[in-house]
Formats: sequence, C-alpha cells, structure tokens
Amino acid sequence: MNTVEIRNVTKTFGDVVAVDDLSLDVPQGSIYGFIGPNGAGKTTTLRMIMNIFYPDSGTIHVFGNRLQGACTDAIGYLPEERGLYKKMKVRELLRFYGELKNGRDLKREVNRWLEKLSLLEWADKKVDTLSKGMSQKVQFIATIVSNPDLIILDEPFTGLDPVNADVIREVVLELQARGTTVIFSTHDMNMAERMCDFIFMIYKGRKVLDGTLTDIQNEYGSDTLRVRAEDGVPALQNLAGVEKVTDFGQLQELRITQGHDPQQILAAMMANTRITSFEVAKPSLHDIFVRIAGPEAEEKSRVENT
Amino acid sequence: MSKILKLLRREYRASVRTKGFIIGLALAPILMSGSLIAMALFRGKVDTSDRWIAVVDHSNEVAGVILAAAEARNDQVVYDKEKDKKVKSAYFIEIIDPDTLNPAMLRLQLSDRVRSRDLHAFVEIGSGVLSPQANPEEARITYHAENAAIDEVRGWLSGQINNYLRHVRLTRAGIEEDAVGEMLTWLPVESMGLISRDEETGQVQEAERSSEMEAVLTPIFTMFLMFIMVMMGAVPLLNAVMEEKTQRIAEVILGSVRPFQFMMGKLLGGVAVSLTGLSVYAVLGGIVVYRLDLADKLPLNVLPWIYAYAVLMIFMLGGGLAALGAVCNDAKDAQNLTMPAILPAMIPMFLLVPIIEAPNSAFATTLSLFPPFTPMLMLLRMSAFETIPLWQPWVGLLGVLLFALISVWLGGRIFRVAILMQGQPPKLSLILRWAFRG
Repeated sequence: MNTVEIRNVTKTFGDVVAVDDLSLDVPQGSIYGFIGPNGAGKTTTLRMIMNIFYPDSGTIHVFGNRLQGACTDAIGYLPEERGLYKKMKVRELLRFYGELKNGRDLKREVNRWLEKLSLLEWADKKVDTLSKGMSQKVQFIATIVSNPDLIILDEPFTGLDPVNADVIREVVLELQARGTTVIFSTHDMNMAERMCDFIFMIYKGRKVLDGTLTDIQNEYGSDTLRVRAEDGVPALQNLAGVEKVTDFGQLQELRITQGHDPQQILAAMMANTRITSFEVAKPSLHDIFVRIAGPEAEEKSRVENT
Repeated sequence: MSKILKLLRREYRASVRTKGFIIGLALAPILMSGSLIAMALFRGKVDTSDRWIAVVDHSNEVAGVILAAAEARNDQVVYDKEKDKKVKSAYFIEIIDPDTLNPAMLRLQLSDRVRSRDLHAFVEIGSGVLSPQANPEEARITYHAENAAIDEVRGWLSGQINNYLRHVRLTRAGIEEDAVGEMLTWLPVESMGLISRDEETGQVQEAERSSEMEAVLTPIFTMFLMFIMVMMGAVPLLNAVMEEKTQRIAEVILGSVRPFQFMMGKLLGGVAVSLTGLSVYAVLGGIVVYRLDLADKLPLNVLPWIYAYAVLMIFMLGGGLAALGAVCNDAKDAQNLTMPAILPAMIPMFLLVPIIEAPNSAFATTLSLFPPFTPMLMLLRMSAFETIPLWQPWVGLLGVLLFALISVWLGGRIFRVAILMQGQPPKLSLILRWAFRG
C-alpha cells in the first residue's frame, strides 16, 4: 500500500514550471529520499503533499484520501527554513505545535522527546536562548511529537554537527521501524545512499530518477573504476576508453565508455604509473547526480537544444 | 478545541503576557490625553518673572492710568501674603514720550529692547482713542511683543484702557458711571441639558447644567478609546504576520492549519486583546465614575455599542492588516503599509470638531454611515450631547458587519497566496490580483 500517490501533478508560478507532470508512489513504511539541485522542485513537491500549495493539475492522494483543501493531522512536516516562535518557551512551543496536529498525551510525549534528544534542561527556556543545533532539534521534535504516520523532512541534516545528525538519523530509523513513512529531501548523497529505501530525483521540475539505489545504479551499469595511482591524475589522462577522470585526492574515479574492457584500461594505466588499488564499481549517487545535473549535462542539454 | 481557538489562545497569551502590554495599557490613555492631563497638572505653574512694559501714549490720557493700575495690581495680586509667595508676574510700566518726527524709528528701538529682553512688550496708544468713530485710524491701540497674540498682558491692558476710556466718555457726556452700571451689566447664557421625567416617580426633573465634560470630553474620550483598541488589537497584526512570514513560522503553522484558520486565529486573538484592554478601562473608568459621582453625566448606554463596534472594527481593519502583513517581506515594507492601512482609524480623528459641534448634520450622518469610519464616528455622535436617531447605530452596525465580512474574505484570499511568497515586493496590482483572482 502506498502512503502517498502523486499522479500527473503540475505546478507553475507565473511562467516558471516548478513541477512538471510528476507521478510518484511512496510505499508505506519506507524512507523515500528526494534529491535534486536547488530550485529543481523538491520543496514545491513536498509543500503540495502537505497541501500548503495546491497543484494546477493532477491529483495527490495521502493515506488513500485525495487532498482537497483539508490538512491532515497525520503528517509531520519539517520545512527547509526553520520556523519557531522565539519568545515562547521550548515546552510550551512543542505542546502548541502538537496541539495544532491534535496530538494525544502531549505532555508525556514532549518530555519523552526532550529527554531523548538531550534537551530536557532547556524545556523552560525561551527558544531564542537556544543554539542553532538545539533549535533544529526542537523543530524536529515539533515535527514528530504528535506521532504522525507520515513525516516529511525538508533538508533535516543541514547545519547539524555529526553527533546531532546521527541522533536525528537514529530517530528517523526508529520511527520507520515502527511503521512510519518518511520522505526527506537532502543534498547529502551519502546520507541518501545509506538511509533511503527509494530515491527520487527531480531536475527542472521533471522526474529523472525513481527507484531503489540498486535499480538506479543498475541503469548505469558498472562503468566506474576507482583506482589509486601513485602519480595521480596526470598519469590517467588521455587513456582510450576513459570519458572522465575525477580526482578525490587519495583516490581517482574514472568513468569508462560503454563497450571498453576495464582490464585493458588497467593495463594502459599501469604502463604510465604504479596502481596500488583498483576496483570496478557502479557509479555513486553523487556521480549520478552530477551526470544528470552537473555542468556537462547542462552543456549537453544546451547543445542539443540549439 | 478547534484549531482556530488554539491559535487564538497562543496569540492572546503572546500579547497579554508581555510587559509591553501592561505598559501600553497604562501609557496609551496618558499619551492620548496627554495635553489635557498636562494642563491639569501644570495649572498654576505660571511664569512669575517681572514684566517691563513700555507705553507710548499719543493721547496723553491713558499712560498714567495704566501706570497706576499696574502699581495697584502689583500691590494686590502679585504676592500671596498668606503663603508669602509670589504667585503672578509684576507689571512695571515705563512711559515713553511719542516721537512725532520719526515714530517708526522709535518703534524699531523699542522692538530691539524687547528682543534683548530689556522690555517684555510695548503698547502704542493712538491720539484719537476717546473718539474712535470720528477717526478710527487715530484710535488704534497696538501691542508689540514676541508672542503678542497669546500674551496675557495684552488682555490686562485692553481691560484697563477700555474701562478708563468708557469712564472718561461717560463723564464727558455728563453721565455718572454709577448710575448706568446696571445698563452695562453683561449676562452670560448658561448651557443646560434637556428636561426629563423620572421613570420611577413620574416627576418632571430639573434640567442640569450641561458641562464641558458632557459636551466635549466624553465624545473625545470615546473616540480615543476606540483608537486605542485599534492600536492594541489590529495594528500589531501586520507586524506579527510579517514576522511569522519572514521567520518561516508561517510554513510550519500552515503544515497544520488552513490559511483561513491561521488568519482567523490571529484576528480573534487581536479581538481578545482589544476586549481585555477595553474591559480594563471600563472597570477602572467605572470606579472613577462611581467615586466622582459622575454616572448621571455620562452616556453609559453607549458602552455596549463600544464593545460591538470595537469587535467589528478589529475584524474590519485586522483582516486587511493581516493580509498586508502577509504581503510584506521586511520591517520597512510593514512600516510603509501601516499608515495607509490605519487611515480608517486616523481620518475620524481629524473630523472630531465639526462632528461634535453638529452631530446630526448631514455631513456627520453621512460620514458616520460610511462603514470604514462608522465605528469611530457613530460612537462619537452617540456620545455627544445631541440625541441621534435610533436606527442609525443599527444601520451603521450592519454596514460595518458587511464590510468586516468582505474585508476578512478578501484578506483571507491575499493572505493564502502571499504568506509563502518570498521576495515579491508589495505592489498594489499584485495585492489586487491576489484578492480578486486568488
């Protein structure tokens, strides 16, 4: 069963098509990652699922019901830009946000989450006394305090230190284990690779990727070589069958042209330099993202259009 | 509890729990009626420094009299002998011979002495003051000072000179002044209220003296009260919504409630804040009225109307202000839009005098039935000393109700679109498009 079903949804702002004929299914209990460059249409899609924006055409069903003007209390929403009343006390604010979602047993839930996220001693402090990381955790609690069945998190890890990012990640996984469906948008490809059951990429308002990480990587095949070359990138230039070389300092990544044998390329590399590590791999999500939305793709698209 | 009520509760607590609200509640009436209070407080705090006045008397009749009158005044009223304290300025007269060859130069010299604080003023008395109708130009009396128009010395001089001239004219006509004293007595016309019948005893009651408080202060107070209510309940909505938009709180709230619920919660919060303020003033006012035994002097029947009009006015203005708050992107936008948005509360303040003078004129009636002005002007008319037709407050109320509904409906449409629009400058064309096309 799908928690969210989006069918042929289009949303425009003036002359700009923010989302173009989008269809998407988010299965219940899954973690669905939304990726895409800035301005691609991620937040607009999330806002339409939240019923904050209304689609120009198409339909959105959440929990099997079509969204028609009414907000659902069973969705927790963490917007990209954090919004907290600065003069309210933390506990009071969380109860207020929970009440707006018609949450139950809020007093206990607020205390439980504050304790879990190490914020209990700040419960009676005003929000404007909190650090940025603490505010972000408070905003996260506000999203989940009413125990929603679907959680939408727009860039939840932005600005968090690794410790706090891990705390949030663990809570998200814990909620998923309890059956909660999670949609989150992110620019952190590593986090998306590690956490998401499904990944959806939107680019210029259109869906360009949708599926499990394995499915997506399989589409591209094993076209990536990860090597450690003693003489670095200069020794790897102008090799036959190599489309692109990306230098990560300690590691170099080569994208090979379809039909070329990695062994022949390895032999060519060894003729130039000493190779201490060699791996034939599928492209990373980061690489796939860049292939779709990077400058090369932009240039290719421009040439094709002219 | 409905979501609107939850928003209302938060809004109300956020406003009322602050020190600013308490201070504002105390300061608003003081600031509004500041000049009246200042006048009361500083009554008697007069400047008692001595005044040197030069008299240029072309008639050779009056200067000596002024000198004698000033000396008599200095003996009698300048010092409070019981308290051994100077309570008024002493007037010292310097008689200057007229310069018939170059009078302008003399006036310039005396003016320079006034500027250098050597003199307070100088008065020039024409040669024909005893026969003013024969030659009006020669009968002029001119008083020269830096604040001649509002100078109390001018009034004193005028009384002294005219009393003496009347005495001389009567004497020269062979009439004893004492014999005609009653002929010259001036009688004031007293202001009285209308006669009414006691509802319990059926007796016709004596009319009471119509005081300034009834005629002027009560209507002004009612109007200021409404203005304070608007400033307390409606105007803060613009900034509050703008802040919620710019601090991205609106997006979080809109994840839980519909835009119209959001706006209504805020509006009702504003109404609740205003009614709290109004009730505080009503209770405190009631105590003062009871202590000073003023209940009969005040139109207490207007009080329920004040509540009704205050609620509708907050809705009427608040709907627009919340919508404009949603349109703003920063404090500067909010500042620019506040003034035009509160014009319906400002313009009636400028119409105060003509409407108090003639509350039943066509001008007053028409304007008070124009919904944006109705709450303030209708209450102003109802608190004035004339009785207005009973149907007018009801029709006015209906008009304001309709206008408030339209304002909230249009405001809601603007609010819904604008609250998530970042970076769009608040242009009139854009606001109208959002209002009518959504």
